[in-house]
Amino acid sequence: MPWNDNANPGPWGSPPSNDSPGRGGRDAQPPPTPPRRPPPSPPGGPDLRDLLRRLMDELRGLAGGYASRDMRRWIYVGIPGAIFFAWILTGFYTVQANEEAVITRFGGYVGSVGPGLHYHLPIPIEKAEMVAVTNQNKTVVGGAPGAPAPDESQMLTGDENIVDLSFTVQWHVSDAAAYLFRIRDPNDAVKAVAESAMREVVGHSALTPILTNGRGEVQNQTLVLMQRILDDYHAGVTIDAVQIQNANPPDEVVPAYQDIARAGQDAQSYINEANTYRNRVVNEAKGTASKITQAAEGYRQQTILEAQGQAARFNQVYAQYRLAPAVTRERLYIQTMQTVLSKSKKVIVDAKGATAPIILPPDAFRPKSSDNAAPAAPAPAAAAPQEGQQ
Amino acid sequence: MSRRAWMWIGGGLVALIIAFNSLFIVDQRQQVIVVKLGEPVRVINPPGAYDPGLKLKIPLIENLVVLDKRNQALEAPQEEIISADQQRLVVDAFIRYRISNPVAFYRTLRDEAVAADRLQPLINSSLRQVLGAATASQIISSQRAEVMANALGDIRRRAARSHLGIEVVDLRIKRADLPTANQQAVYRRMRSNLQQQAAQIRAIGEQNRLEVVADADKQVTITLANATAQAFATRGAGDAESAKIFASSFGKDARFAAFYRSLQAYEGAFDDGQTTMVLSPDSDFFKYFKNGGGR
Repeated sequence: MPWNDNANPGPWGSPPSNDSPGRGGRDAQPPPTPPRRPPPSPPGGPDLRDLLRRLMDELRGLAGGYASRDMRRWIYVGIPGAIFFAWILTGFYTVQANEEAVITRFGGYVGSVGPGLHYHLPIPIEKAEMVAVTNQNKTVVGGAPGAPAPDESQMLTGDENIVDLSFTVQWHVSDAAAYLFRIRDPNDAVKAVAESAMREVVGHSALTPILTNGRGEVQNQTLVLMQRILDDYHAGVTIDAVQIQNANPPDEVVPAYQDIARAGQDAQSYINEANTYRNRVVNEAKGTASKITQAAEGYRQQTILEAQGQAARFNQVYAQYRLAPAVTRERLYIQTMQTVLSKSKKVIVDAKGATAPIILPPDAFRPKSSDNAAPAAPAPAAAAPQEGQQ
Repeated sequence: MSRRAWMWIGGGLVALIIAFNSLFIVDQRQQVIVVKLGEPVRVINPPGAYDPGLKLKIPLIENLVVLDKRNQALEAPQEEIISADQQRLVVDAFIRYRISNPVAFYRTLRDEAVAADRLQPLINSSLRQVLGAATASQIISSQRAEVMANALGDIRRRAARSHLGIEVVDLRIKRADLPTANQQAVYRRMRSNLQQQAAQIRAIGEQNRLEVVADADKQVTITLANATAQAFATRGAGDAESAKIFASSFGKDARFAAFYRSLQAYEGAFDDGQTTMVLSPDSDFFKYFKNGGGR
């Protein structure tokens, strides 16, 4: 709507010919045929010019001089009247739902109005400037994914490391008048302040918290600092959120960071291996221990049972022995000797009166299996140094 | 059309031109110097006063110089600055200023382009002076706010001394980073630092591993030793028990017990049949061997 055109810079609004340069050429040279009429000096919109052109066409039809007096009066009064009426109409304007209109009268602030259809005094006197107050504005610093801006994103941390950090600032206009009147380039100011504040905050922090769990803190501090600076400028802007999109170590050291992660895995696997070993060995040892103690227990029981058996045997024999000691004793002795000697090879030497050593044939000592050995050696006259022979 | 009508029209046009030339609107964002034949005569809507609106001037003789009244930014070109501890830093800063004395501004600077040309060297010399007196770590982290405040004070003094008609509202360092060559050194240091950390993590893992293994071995040894000790005790108990049993039964007749046990031992000892026995016919066994009827 032309009457709602607030970008109109001139103190009196623009003269009609400037308002719409596309048509200016035609209007600058009025058609030569009709009598020269006073040009429409007060400003008007393009719809005025339409009206004017139609009037001109009518005049041309009537031809100069032949117009009636009434017609002339109508022209003298009607045209300025219509122009004036159109001018009055330029005071209507609409404010969109997300906007606030800041009204200035001769350049001075008179008030702000919300959404709807409104009227102010016509154009040169009062003007309405729209500010989108409910819009969430988003300022990106440090480049977006796919469009890196290392100059903006790389910054030094407090421990003199470098971090690659990109973030967005969400903000809205909280005071439309201040936003318009107090600061020249609010959008650029937000970005510059964001960069400066983020670098200041990052400069106070070490690298590791920025990369890990300290992001929230960095975001909050940046938000508070930004808000303070912008309030100092009376920018009329409220910061809603500072959001770190990416905080990475620079590409050059990423492999080293990955190695740290690997080292953690390695360390964990060492421990796991050791635990596996421990579980195996300790359980084996428990098994072995159990084997040892069980064997001992077996030995104990075996020994006791054996002893009991022996004792029982002895007791029984002893009971018989008590009945006839001498006979039993003799019998036992002889029986045992029989058993013993029946299994062994035997050499019987009568050494009584022998003076020279008795030489036994080596056959006597051969294992029993050869079997043709050992009748008694007939050497009656020999001493018996049996021990020496054995 | 009559001559009178043309005169009316002409007169009206002249009046309009004069009106256009003498009436003007001053926006509240602007401050306007009225210049009469090159000489500033008055300022409309000056800083500190709120006076926008429809204003008058003498047509053709008085001209207008329109200046901005708002807080505006000026970026200083990027500059390499050497800090007090001889570190090179790439510094990027901006100031925000407003025109506080429009007449002085008009006399010395004329317009904003010239103002930028004059202010940028001032910013640079302020930064050099203030940052050159601080160490790199102070600039980067510990005292950044103080450094900026000092630089702001310094540039304010310089601007006042040069009568620029400008009030510097704020000076902020955007970037204070290391030049590319030094960045490589930082990367190297970060890398070696990280490698050190990784080695330590691995070493701690290795240490844990050895500790666990050693502990396991210890447990094994102790378990086996305990078992062995217990086994000895058990065996001892068995031996003791058997000794007790033997004692209680054999003890009834020690001589017979010895005799009986010896017989058993002989039987056991010569059981293998590999022994060659050299016997004397005098031995007890042969008692009846020689003289059948016996004594």
